[in-house]
Formats: sequence, C-alpha cells, structure tokens
Amino acid sequence: MVNFTVDQIRGLMDVPTNIRNMSVIAHVDHGKSTLTDSLVSKAGIIASAKAGDMRFTDTRDDEKERGITIKSTAISMYFELLKEDVEGIKQETNGNEFLINLIDSPGHVDFSSEVTAALRVTDGALVVVDCVEGVCVQTETVLRQALTERIKPVVIINKVDRALLELQVSKEDLYQSFCRTIESVNVIISTYHDEALGDVQVYPEKGTIAFGSGLHGWAFTLLNFAARYAKKFGVQKDKMMLKLWGDNYFNPTTRKWTTKGNDTDGKPLERAFNMFVLDPIFKIFDAVMNYKKDAIAPMLEKLDVKLAQDERDLEGKALLKVIMRKFLPAGDSLLEMIVLHLPSPRTAQRYRAETLYEGPQDDESAIGIRDCDPKGPLVFYVSKMVPTSDKGRFYAFGRVFSGTIRAGPKIRIQGPNYLPGKKEDLFVKSVQRTVLMMGRYVEPIEDCPAGNIVGLVGIDQFLLKSGTLTTSETAHNMKVMKFSVSPVVQVAVEVKNAADLPKLVEGLKRLSKSDPCVQAWINESGEHIIAGAGELHLEICLKDLEEDHAGVPLKKSDPVVGYRETVKAESSIVALSKSQNKHNRLYAKAQPLDEELSLAIENGKVNPRDDFKLRARVLADEYGWDVTDARKIWCFGPDTTGPNLLVDVTKGVQYLNEIKDSCVAAFQWATKEGPMADEIMRGLRINILDVTLHTDAIHRGGGQIIPTCRRVTYAACLLAEPTLQEPVYLVEIQCPENAIGGIYSVLNKRRGQVISEEQRVGTPMFTVKAYLPVMESFGFNSELRAATSGQAFPQAVFDHWEQMNGSPLEKGSKLEEVVRGIRVRKGLKPEIPALDSFYDKL
Amino acid sequence: MVHYGHACMSQTSRLPVIYVFGKKDIDVDDCVEKLLSTLKESSDEAQTILLRMDVAYTHRADDIVSKLRPSIPHLLYNPIPTIAYPNSPSHTSPPNTTSNPETNGNTPAQPYQTILYIGGENLSLTNLLMTNSSCQVHSYDPSTQSTRLESARVNKLLMRRYATVQKARDADVFGILVGTLGVASYLPLISHLRTMLAKSHKKSYTISVGKLNPAKLANFMEIECFVLVACPENSVIEAREFLQPIVTPYELGIALQSEPQWTGEYVLDFKNILDSESNSQQDTNNPNEENKPDDLDEPIFSLTTGKYRHAKRYHNTDPDPDPTSPPSTSDAIILRNQDNALSVMPDSAAGHFLQERSWKGLETRLGEDAPGVLEQGRSGIARGYGDDHRV
Repeated sequence: MVNFTVDQIRGLMDVPTNIRNMSVIAHVDHGKSTLTDSLVSKAGIIASAKAGDMRFTDTRDDEKERGITIKSTAISMYFELLKEDVEGIKQETNGNEFLINLIDSPGHVDFSSEVTAALRVTDGALVVVDCVEGVCVQTETVLRQALTERIKPVVIINKVDRALLELQVSKEDLYQSFCRTIESVNVIISTYHDEALGDVQVYPEKGTIAFGSGLHGWAFTLLNFAARYAKKFGVQKDKMMLKLWGDNYFNPTTRKWTTKGNDTDGKPLERAFNMFVLDPIFKIFDAVMNYKKDAIAPMLEKLDVKLAQDERDLEGKALLKVIMRKFLPAGDSLLEMIVLHLPSPRTAQRYRAETLYEGPQDDESAIGIRDCDPKGPLVFYVSKMVPTSDKGRFYAFGRVFSGTIRAGPKIRIQGPNYLPGKKEDLFVKSVQRTVLMMGRYVEPIEDCPAGNIVGLVGIDQFLLKSGTLTTSETAHNMKVMKFSVSPVVQVAVEVKNAADLPKLVEGLKRLSKSDPCVQAWINESGEHIIAGAGELHLEICLKDLEEDHAGVPLKKSDPVVGYRETVKAESSIVALSKSQNKHNRLYAKAQPLDEELSLAIENGKVNPRDDFKLRARVLADEYGWDVTDARKIWCFGPDTTGPNLLVDVTKGVQYLNEIKDSCVAAFQWATKEGPMADEIMRGLRINILDVTLHTDAIHRGGGQIIPTCRRVTYAACLLAEPTLQEPVYLVEIQCPENAIGGIYSVLNKRRGQVISEEQRVGTPMFTVKAYLPVMESFGFNSELRAATSGQAFPQAVFDHWEQMNGSPLEKGSKLEEVVRGIRVRKGLKPEIPALDSFYDKL
Repeated sequence: MVHYGHACMSQTSRLPVIYVFGKKDIDVDDCVEKLLSTLKESSDEAQTILLRMDVAYTHRADDIVSKLRPSIPHLLYNPIPTIAYPNSPSHTSPPNTTSNPETNGNTPAQPYQTILYIGGENLSLTNLLMTNSSCQVHSYDPSTQSTRLESARVNKLLMRRYATVQKARDADVFGILVGTLGVASYLPLISHLRTMLAKSHKKSYTISVGKLNPAKLANFMEIECFVLVACPENSVIEAREFLQPIVTPYELGIALQSEPQWTGEYVLDFKNILDSESNSQQDTNNPNEENKPDDLDEPIFSLTTGKYRHAKRYHNTDPDPDPTSPPSTSDAIILRNQDNALSVMPDSAAGHFLQERSWKGLETRLGEDAPGVLEQGRSGIARGYGDDHRV
C-alpha cells in the first residue's frame, strides 16, 4: 500500500528544507536498483516482501531481461523521521516529514551520461560499493562526477551477506575489509576536494556510511546500533557512535572502554565494532544457516524482533531474510542516513549556484537559485527527456532551481546555443502540464516550487536533449552538462525499404532526444550515422531505433571509429597559397597544440566566449603562450568551439581586419574536414604569418580569401608531419588469478597496453587496467569471455585521444592504409591529396 | 546556331541548333561482341534494352544497331538528331520523339530495364545513371575496348546527393544560380523556384553566373545554399570545393517538403520538374496550409548536425496579400535610426549577415567629416593599376 498521498508530497514541496534530492550511483552490478527497491518498499510503493527481486526502477523490458539498468528512473517518496532524531540534522529543518526525490542510475560505463543527467538535478548521492569487489572504475568515475557537480556523497557498503555466506570471513577480517573500502572511497573524495563543498569524506562513526544487503533488504548505520546501546551504557548516541568504530575496545570483565587491543593481562580484546555490531549479525547468520532452531527464538526476543505466524515456519535463507529485514530494515536506516546527512536544496543551492549558472552571480536569476526562492524568477534546468506512452512525445525532466513552475504562463525556453539578448535558440511557450515522476507512473500536480524534480509536458518539441527554462528576460543559461563519455563508436544505418526513409529520419530525431549522449547525423556520403559511447550503448540505441523510435527494419554497418587529424611538428617551411585571381597571398605555419590545452578547450576551461584578455593571461600562465599571440586568437574551430586555433601573428598588414571573417569561415571549414581523410581536426594551431592583399576591396573579397585560407591551412598541415589520433578506452578487468594469462593474450592481440595489475587485498580477485584502442575493442568482450572461460568482466570507458605511430604520408605504411580505408569508405579518391594541390609557388 | 563538339542535347528555348559532334574512332565489331557477352552474363536477354551512346560515336550508330538487332530483338534506340528546333509553346510533341529519351525515364511504364552505353566516362554517363537508377547500365568504352557494369556506383552517387539535399533543408537563404540561358523553359523554372522558396518562407537571390567556381560563389557568404538552373548534364555539381552546397531544382523540391522523401527517383529535366511540382502542389496544397500554424516556431531536427535548428522565416509579413507573387526583394533595406545605429529590417538576409560580421566596412561619420573632393580614379587592370607601386 502506498503510505502517502500526492497531496502530502505536494505539501512538502513547499518546504525546501525538508526535501532531499538524491541519486543512487555505483559501479555496474553493485546493487543500485536492488537497493533502491528497499527504499521504495519503505514508501509502500511495492510490497516489502518483493523488495530486492523486483527492481522497480528498471522499467524497460530489456532492462529486466539483461538485468542491468539502462535509463535512470526518478521516484518521489515521503518519509517520516522519528521526532527524536530530527535534532541530529545539522541544517535548517521544519518538522519531521521529508520528501525524497530519488533517481536510480545505470552503472554500466556506456550509460554514464544518464548518471551525469541525474547528478545535475540532485544534491546528494548514495554511493553503493560492493563489499567484495570494492571500489571499481565506475565507482570512481561517478564519484568524481558527483564531486565536480558539488554533490555530497554518503556510502553504503552493499552485499555484506555475500561476505558472510560465500566468503565466510571472520569479524576482524570483515572490519578490515570495510576499512579498506572506506579508505579508497575517501582517497577519491579528497582528490577532488572542493573548498565550497567542505569536507565530504565519509566516516562510519559520523553515520555517513551504511552497511547492508540490498538483496536481503537490511542495512544499518552505526547510529542504529548506537541508539540500541546508548541506553544500556548511559551515554549520548553520538558518543556511542564514536566508540563503535576504530580502535575502541570494551573490556567486559572490567566494564571499561580502552583504546588498546589488549587488556592488562595482555589478552586480546575484541574490537567494539566486532563485539557490538557484527557479533549479533554473525550469530543470527550462524543460527539460521546452521538450522540451530532453538537458538533463534531467544535471540529474536533479545533483539526485539517479532515474527508473524507463517514466517516462523521458514527456513534457511528465507528465514534469514525475514529476520534481518525486521532487525535492521534497510529502508529506515538508509532513508534516515539520507535525511540526516544529505543537504536540502536550500542548503545545497547556496554553494552550487556558482557552478550551475553561467551568468553573473548577482543577477536576479542567480540570486533566486542561491536562495532556492519559490517566489524568485523561474529557473528550470531540463536534464533529459523521458519518453511518454504517447509515441514520439517526451516529458522534459528536470529541476526547478528558482521560482515556481506551473502550466499556463509563457516561459522562455533557452536551448544550449542561446545567448542572452539574442533570439537564437529561444522560444516563448507555455507548459501544458507538470507531473511528478514515480518510476513507471506519473502523477499530475498543479505546480512545483523551487528545489523539486518534476516532468513537464508540452515543451519537448523545442529542446533536443537539455535546456534552461526561465521567466527572466536577462537570465543566462544554466551550465551545460559535461559528460564523462564521448560518442566515439559509430555505425551507419539504412532502411531496407526506401519508402521508410521519413520514418528513419523521425526515429533518429527521437533517438537523439531520448538519450543524453547519442548523436545522429548524415555524413558527406549520405549515410545515416549513429554514434554512441560503446558497443553496448549502440546496441541498445539501435534496438530502440528499430523497434520503437522508427519502427522499420534497418540495415546496420559494422561499427567504425571516428579519428582526429592533427600535426606532430611545426611546418617545415612556410606554406603559401595564392587566391584564384593570384592577387592575394596567405603565408601560414601549422604547429601542434599542447595536449593539455586541447583538453582544456574540450572541457570548456578555455572558452571562445571568454574575455580575450583573461584568456590570454590563462594561456600565457598555464600553457606557455606568448601573451601577444594569445590575444590575437582569431577563432576556435570547428564549430567555433573546437580544439584548433587560428592565430594572427602578422605584423602591420593592411586591410587584415577585412579578411578576418573570411578566414574564420575558412578555418571552420578546414578543421571540420581535415586534409588527409576528411576527419575532424584536433590540436592544431595555425599561425598566419603574413598576408599580401590586393589594394582593391573587390579583389580581396570572401570569394578569393575563403578558398585560399582553407588551402593554406591544408598546406601548412601537410608540411607539419600530419598524423591521426585514435580514441583509446581505459579498460578495467576484474578476474581471478588463473584468468590473467587469457586477458594478457587477448590484450596483446589487440594492441592493448596494460598499465596496472593489482590484487584486491583479502580476495582472490585481480584488477587489470589497460589502454585499448577503440578500433580494436569490437568483439573484445566476447573474445575475453572465451579466453577466460567467462571469468573476466571488462568495463571500457573512453579515456583519451592517442597519436598514432608512423606517418600517413609515407607510402605503404600502416597509417597510410588506415587513411586510405577512411577515404574509400567516404567515397573519396584513395590517395591523400598532394602538397602542391594546396601549396603555391611564389 | 551551329554547335561544335560534345553536346548535352537539351532542348533550346530560342534558336534552332545544328550539331557537329566530331567523329571518334570505334571498333564496331569489338563493341558489339563485348556488349553482347556482358549481356549474356547478366542473363535476362528477352527484356527490352535501350541503347545510348556518346554523341561522338553517332556516326557509327547505324552499324552498331544493325549488328545488335539480330541478338537483341527488343532494342530501343533513338537516333540522335543533328538539328534541333526550339519547342514553340503551341507545338506539343509526343514525349517519345523528344531528343532526350531519358526524359520520360521516370514514367511508371518504363519499357526497359537494361541500358547499354557506348562511350567513355563523362557527364552524360553520370547523368544517365542518376536518372535511371533502377536500371542496369552497361558501358563500353571504345578507347579501352572494355565493358563494365556502371550501376554499382549509382547508389553511392545518389547517397551523396541525398546528403546534399539534407544540407539544403538546413538553409534559409538560397541563391538561384542561372547557369543557362538557352535550355527550354528555364525562365518558368526560375520563377517557379522563386515562388516555391517564398512559400516556404525562404529568402532567395537570383544570380547569373557563367561557369561556376568556388571563388565566385564564396563572395555571397550570406547565402546558405545554391540552386543551379543549368542543362541536365551540368546541374549535378559535386560541391566539395564549394563552401555552400549546390542542389538541382528537383532536389530543392525535395528539400522543401516537410517530410523528407527519397525514393531514388531522380529528375533533371526542367519540364518534368515543373509538371510534377504543379501536380503535387494541387494534391498537397490544402493539408499543408492546415498544418502550418501549429509548427510555425518549432525547431527542425537537422540531420547534418544532429541538432535542433531554428529556421529563420522570411516573407513572414502578413500584409503580403499574395504569397505566390514573386516577392520584390530589392526593398529589403537597412534603416539607419537617429543614433546612427543600424536596425535591421526583419526580412533582410544580407542585413542579418552584416550584423554578424566583425568587419562592417569603414566607419561612417556622417556630418563629421567634410565631403571629399572628386578626383581621378585608377586606371588599368587588377594586375597592376597605373598608380600602383607594386610590381
């Protein structure tokens, strides 16, 4: 039975201090969705007996089939905290009723864009860590993302039942393993330490770490046990918590606390955590699993756990589940931890405002966001589109950061390319309905004040993936989300039946909407290209496209990889190109950009929209540029934002400002289609050294300059040891020791480079990290499975662009072959154009 | 007019033409033998076969046809005339007597499935391939004495055109390039294009160019896509060297439809475009009008970028009583207000473009500087004017 009403929730929405927006994040298979079930069952949305098996938030059929989460799912819940615990909250609160907006996110790396979208609209994160596998690559990735978004984490160490039942560890070993896991989480947290967020490292004794089992539906924090023992020892709960962790021992004979592991006689003492926390749990496990029926009843009485009549007849695991669930209900302990330790929107938006909002921090929108003011101007961020049951329509899912959103009044819909004061990417429309997202259901609500997460109906056609909604005419955009994955794997699709083409086009549009990361476009040779983060991601996208969005049979090509063209050195000589009328000459040299600078541009740290003086300062201080050069950056390219720079280093050239626009246009064009393989360029700096222009304006118009500037760019590149960059995955593989040989042989065959190999302390599992070119990753998973008889589980995430060895200009080299392959695929002449097609003699 | 050399054989609008094609050598026996053997390989011999050849080989056409006839009973061949008369409006000729057999290639009852082509690789072969994408085309090149199946690359060609059409969909400002002054019904076509563009709220400029080159077209930076009105053989331009895409009138028609249709059918002949457009317009006129008010503002999903695009709408002013009348574009000007700042008339693409430029010409200091004295201008050519000190 649902134990709350929509009206109750709507009422709580007006109390921003009592809202918790949180996401559940973790490595794949660490048990997010299962754990979420416990929380959902606490709210009465699903029966508690089913929690752990149902995976309520996995709403799609393929999610159920594969047993993985693909899309993030949001759900709103009502939670009542015990009155006496309210004082434990260290931020402003009103009453003991809380609204929890929870988003369950996928764990597989290919879908981390979903995690990014979820993190944007939440303030806190429940990080789930498998107690056996420990901190994995994706745990680190999502945690890093959370911290850069200024999201406060709490941790649950999950699957403790596995440690007890399968590994049969001792209490002290379990404690040590907990310590190690917590330490590795804290190492990551302190690496991405942010002053504004404060110290967010997690400590069991502070109650920010829970231990439990999602599958069995139990979990506890030290607070739970402290509450039990506080009365017995007659101390405060928080004092008790401190005692229950770390090097604290209780001497039962003297009834004294000590910090030494031995008593006065030198006999070892049992750690308080082991004695007071783990011991009861171990005893229950032992009694139930070894069928010591008579031992169970008194224990239950002592723990104040009452079983129903039919539950008493259960045996083994089923009984264990029931007992543990009654003893330490996961829903209560976790929700309590969430409410106590995660920030409310009012608290969080105060420090998050500056990272969220692009505009000046003192305008009305920024102030509205900072204060989480329901009466301020509306600022709403749409983080993703959620498909509705109505085919082709979407809920715009996001969060109200300021003001109140309701159906009716006209609001400004600002797409990602909107600039204040311009009309581009701006629509003024009204929202038709606002709905509460409840997993697979929605509940209509009248309006929604600041601090809440809702879905909107009726504006999906104006935004592709994300955007900002506002009522303030001066409002800037909210910062766009930075995804940790890039769409590096591409496939071409075509319709089997030409008449289905319009459906495919519509389907591509819907696909782009429904996934934050996927891209779809048509290339020069007329193929429909879909790009995704990895093989699995593409597989899901194509399946969705074929069965759902387009609904027509498709032909799919083999996956291909997008390369980048770049240069390795400075041009050996000055490149010269003449305009068609021979009256204008451009002289230029190419040189590579530092990898750090390319990355900074790609991450938006160095931005074409920055003030040029500030940018010049940054370039000079951090990247060793000459300040005068840095001030004369004409443009970024391609698309005016990419990691290639056109720099004017001429001295005293007449009419130069007249041709700037033409050169900028030419540079966009040239960097979008590089000289060798028509691929996008990356890490290129073109210096315009000198320009000779005709004195008559008509003879130095765009028509003469644009093709010339493009040619001189190409010529300069060909003179500067051009090469390709290929995308490289970071693969993390977990496996037992005997599978390592298989992993190495598969990696070697595929140009993989092992960077580390570590054994997880206390387990027979090894973690191998390696770089693997994306090009070589197709079929990697299945080959790995075959080579290790299914014992190795790889996770691959795009890591960096790697320069390829050799020169494509050298006849017969491997790289030339690659370039030829790309050119033939694109329907170009197989040979790279010769230098003299771009370079003119003086 | 006497026309020497290769000709596209398009119908002219004004002058009668006498063609002189030149005569290239061809080994008739070898040609017939090779063609027959390739036909055998591709099995179905019973079907009707169309024979086409490069105009330079027409002098041996009769020989070839008579030698092919015995083996191929259903051989179609339209002799290429050496004199062509302009099509007077009163005289409507039955379609099968026109000099261009492929013009009716897209009629539903297409009589042939296989085409034999004699001649080297040139524009007329490409043209033939594009307009007959559903047929098998075998070519025989007399200079190398070899045959091959050409149809394999037609799909690639059409796909590339499809990509170009998608780019045209993304454009708001069009340039109509007048590349011919001779081909029949080019004037009705141009005016048809103008009305079509105006109806779709696109801006159009008409530009007359002789031969196209990137330098010429790049001078019109505000134009986002060009439509080339030229004879069929020269219409299909591979725009790799050009900054903006160049489409044919037929492709423009597709690009302006609200739903992208691409069946592989391809039309280059002006008359057919005009006919089919007027037909389809009658069919779809009404539903289109009803749909419009709903999605006036809606962004369009652009396939070339994979993002949403907000189309600019020109000719949006309601006072314009008749949207079909060719709009007078010359009155779209930039007004200067009292602060000497530019304010842009909503309908001017050039004005909008100027606003985005960083270089907007010399600073105007109206009333601040004394007017200059008229002086003698320069003389000479751009290579070096009389007063130029450059060498």
